[in-house]
Amino acid sequence: MRDLYQRLSVSPQASDEELQQAVARCPNSALRQDAEAVFAVEKRRKDYDQAHATLNDIGQLRARLGLTHGAHWQGDVANDFSRLPDQTASRHDELVDRVSHAVGLHNRWRGLRGAGLLIATFIIGTGVGIAVGIALSQTLGT
Amino acid sequence: MSIARFSPFELLLLKSRSQVDTAKLLVLAWVLAHRQHVSEGQRRRRLAQISAQFRHGHELGPVMHIAQQQDLLAIQLAAEVIRKECSQEHSVSVMHQAITLATDSGELSLANHYILRFLADLLNVAPTTLSTLFQELTGQPLARPEDPSRDAYWRVHDAEYYAQQAREAEAHAAQQEKEKKRQQEEAQRAHAQAQEKAEREKARQHQESAQRQRQYERARQQRSSQYGQQRTAPPPDRTTRALAVLGLTPGVSQTEIRRAYRRMAQLNHPDRFYTGSEQQIALASARFQRIKSAYDYLMQNYL
Repeated sequence: MRDLYQRLSVSPQASDEELQQAVARCPNSALRQDAEAVFAVEKRRKDYDQAHATLNDIGQLRARLGLTHGAHWQGDVANDFSRLPDQTASRHDELVDRVSHAVGLHNRWRGLRGAGLLIATFIIGTGVGIAVGIALSQTLGT
Repeated sequence: MSIARFSPFELLLLKSRSQVDTAKLLVLAWVLAHRQHVSEGQRRRRLAQISAQFRHGHELGPVMHIAQQQDLLAIQLAAEVIRKECSQEHSVSVMHQAITLATDSGELSLANHYILRFLADLLNVAPTTLSTLFQELTGQPLARPEDPSRDAYWRVHDAEYYAQQAREAEAHAAQQEKEKKRQQEEAQRAHAQAQEKAEREKARQHQESAQRQRQYERARQQRSSQYGQQRTAPPPDRTTRALAVLGLTPGVSQTEIRRAYRRMAQLNHPDRFYTGSEQQIALASARFQRIKSAYDYLMQNYL
């Protein structure tokens, strides 16, 4: 399957009129005939768009996984739907990173909570001691 | 370091008892999502059936949902997990399951053609292995995917449309044929009418000439009875006819003949009828010929 949108240099979201104009402009008569056949009927364009979207996804996946030169990815499809590898890192590495980050945060929180408890008991203890001292001095004073 | 929240599939993976099985589950659900003419419940049952041996230990619903949404990042993550963890034998079994799921209904959908090939590339399954596996499982060779970007595909898959177009064209041609026939008939009728008219004209002329002849006869008889003398030789018949063509009676002078000829020639000249039909022009030229030959004859033989 070929990417007719790319070959006609229109966007896949183009309206029907734009598409008709692009088809009429196309200098290659064989491609023009094929494009006319595909875009003549509403339902055909829908079917074609569905297949186009799936192949776009697969092309993207292959680019990210380094499979753009696979034994099963040959001919028109490979020519038209292979994407350049983008900067998306390996999703698995990213997941591992995020999990370790989350684990680090969790541990720090746990550690902080231990220290915080100590500090809190100390503050509460001193507060209670001060209060008791003030009360005692008041009772002794009277 | 991204601060985004964990996606649903990442959470599933983290909760899963076996990450590979969860990843396989997502990929198989992706294949199922691209199968045509299958209801949601059937998909779910089929997925449960095929994942009976899996050790994922979570619900299938969220996986189905992610696959339905075509979440590209989740599928990428699943593919990475599978590639990382699958051994050779394991990968063949995954291919096996994917092919079974994709061809349950018999027909391999276009999207699944490419998905299966993607999985084969991902799992390092060679094309020959894949086609052998496919042949074993379905009894049919793995065909090349069809190409909906070509005219030929639609001629096969949308034959009804083309049949209807052909029918319409045929009807149009038939209508045109009918129209043509009608026009031909009309032309024929017009032709017949013109002929009839010409005949009537001829008959009228004939009648006129006969009348003139009778008048002439009567006049002659009158003259003869009046003067009591008889013409020894009546003028030759052809001369009389020639004079009748010019609308004259015997005994006129040469100047009168010339004047009559001029008038008749002007009235009947074919160039007067160049706007009319060919029939009219032909008739006019025939009349003109007759007038001219009559005049020529008279110029040579009269008096």
